[in-house]
Amino acid sequence: MDFYFGLAQLVGVHTLLGLSAYIVLLTGQVSLAQAGFFAVGAYTAGMLTVLAGWHLVPALGVSALVSAATACAVGFPALRIKGLMLVVATLAFGEGVRLFFFNFDYQIAKGEVKVGPLGGEGFRQIRFFPEHGWSTLEVMLFIWCFVLLVMALLWWIDRSRYGAALRAVGEDELAAQAVGLNLTAIKVSAMTLGGGIAGIGGGLYAHYTTHIEHSSFNILVATFALAYPIVGGLQSVFGTVVAVIFVQAFLIEGLRDLGDWRNLLFGALIVLAMNLRPRGFLDARTLASLKRVFGGGPRA
Amino acid sequence: MKKLALAVALAFAAGGALAQEKTIKIAGFGAKSGVVRSFGVNSEAAMLAAAEVINKQGGVKLADGSKAKIAVEFLDDRCNAEEGISVIRRIAGTDALVAIGPTCSNVAEPLFGILQKKVDNKGDSGLQFPVFTDVAIKVGLAKISEWAFRNVPNEMTMYNSVFYWLHQKYPDLKTVYGGVEEDFAHSRATWHLVMKDRAKASGFAVAGESKWLLADTNFATQVREMKKANADIVAISAHPFTTCGVLKEMQRQGVKPKLLVGLTSSSSLETLQGCAKQAQGMIIPSSFAPVNKEAKFAAEQTAKKKGAADLHSMAAWENMFILKQVMESEKIAGTRASVQADRRKIRDGLAKLNTTQGLLGVSKRDAEGEADKPYLFVQAKGNDWVVLHNPL
Repeated sequence: MDFYFGLAQLVGVHTLLGLSAYIVLLTGQVSLAQAGFFAVGAYTAGMLTVLAGWHLVPALGVSALVSAATACAVGFPALRIKGLMLVVATLAFGEGVRLFFFNFDYQIAKGEVKVGPLGGEGFRQIRFFPEHGWSTLEVMLFIWCFVLLVMALLWWIDRSRYGAALRAVGEDELAAQAVGLNLTAIKVSAMTLGGGIAGIGGGLYAHYTTHIEHSSFNILVATFALAYPIVGGLQSVFGTVVAVIFVQAFLIEGLRDLGDWRNLLFGALIVLAMNLRPRGFLDARTLASLKRVFGGGPRA
Repeated sequence: MKKLALAVALAFAAGGALAQEKTIKIAGFGAKSGVVRSFGVNSEAAMLAAAEVINKQGGVKLADGSKAKIAVEFLDDRCNAEEGISVIRRIAGTDALVAIGPTCSNVAEPLFGILQKKVDNKGDSGLQFPVFTDVAIKVGLAKISEWAFRNVPNEMTMYNSVFYWLHQKYPDLKTVYGGVEEDFAHSRATWHLVMKDRAKASGFAVAGESKWLLADTNFATQVREMKKANADIVAISAHPFTTCGVLKEMQRQGVKPKLLVGLTSSSSLETLQGCAKQAQGMIIPSSFAPVNKEAKFAAEQTAKKKGAADLHSMAAWENMFILKQVMESEKIAGTRASVQADRRKIRDGLAKLNTTQGLLGVSKRDAEGEADKPYLFVQAKGNDWVVLHNPL
């Protein structure tokens, strides 16, 4: 069972990464900066537990705040640009963060060994979970507590006036501005919230792998962050979870025994999924059908 | 009639039990796709070939005196840390007694991190599963966990020996220029922590360094810097794919150093398949060359499984025989019920080893689980790596 619990941990971490992009996408902004916020969260939480000896929960809180603050700082200049220019700018930010950690050394002596980030060598021994005797099941439950909390928050936002404003900005900025919505506040708050979620995800990721390095936060991670909510559908937070399960559990883990065919099928199945479900796995029609089945709503 | 049916059923059951062969599963894992896929392909071939030889000799002797055949299963981790962790958890969930791998140091580092750090530390819930690494070569990783062991060459000793020998043999050569594949854990560590330091220690001046990435395909700027430095020796710490790219660019720009030194991992067939002409004369320390009967036999058997013999894949071959010896000396039971106990016995057996027999001779083992393997210097000549010098 440990293997499945471990897989569920990974799905949880990637779900947080996907949800961090989900809220930004609701405002119509395509951001490739999520891997950067994820990295900031990973290094912050890792340094707090390994170097400062903090418990993981407050460390995750700080990593969320630091990543959110970074995202807020990125969000303001990003307001001046949109579309493809925003993609390029956020990509540049993500690469900038990666290269920062590639050159970031901060080690302190702990007993006979030095611990902490060591540039390109990475940051090893982030072993909070095993050192505190947590079983794989407990780690999985811990991670999913955060995933469920974030999902509940986003679900609630989606049903609030703020959520409606996010979607209004995403649908048509001019119209949203015309009805009195503050674009600056909405876009920057979405970016900040997304950064905070990525920070929690990054902190958990660092403790899941026990070792992080600059290459763990490359363009591929940023692409996956965007792909999850797009493949899953932007109509509901659950779409991102479904997409993460599809990619991580089915395409990567489920097809592992196929050897070299797996890589070929990986791309082909994503293309197929996007063609069959152009609005994502959980589009408006599917959600309506699910509501009718599970929610007892009116039948067509 | 009922008695007859019962007798027939019992006879079939007994026959089935007799025919059923005991097997012991050894898992392998590493990159079988991506830029460094040849590492996994060759390791798997070497493991399968070694298992076949061991099985032909009767298999592994178990505690009860019976013999078990070895079954090998190899999983692809795509040289990705997350996948490596998933793979080792998956292997630990099966009846595999030990795993050989991974091929990439950036996978080995996090993977060793999820293993229990100190054996018998009840407060540490890390995975209790023995891993015996064949390829991932970055220095000093086995100390991360007492469940991790490695049979990889000691690059510090090897490059110390190379640069010392070069300094003695070619006293006119004074300067070394480094080229490093900066984003790959092994190549980066080997230049910055090993080659550069050892070259200086042997009396060479380091004239500079150029950096590139594993996925780069254009090396014009880096080679221009190299040309400007005009060093006597160019030391390239990179894997075959970019080593060949750089060597071809050096040829294009007319950069002709007096000597070329390469990374251990590039002393493979892949380099010569990609750029034999440009690599001519390149010197690399290697822990494998088909220089004796055993080494030639191992290379032939691996070739039959469609793999190439090099310092990495032959470490996988050696690991299989070392594990056979450990399983027999530790008297593993080899039953479904004894899987965890057998894993522990294998770990303890590996930890006890002070020396192991390899294809080139005896390897010393230190308390951290690292090996100090015999090595020699090979040089690219024609389409082969030929032995240039045996320093031992």
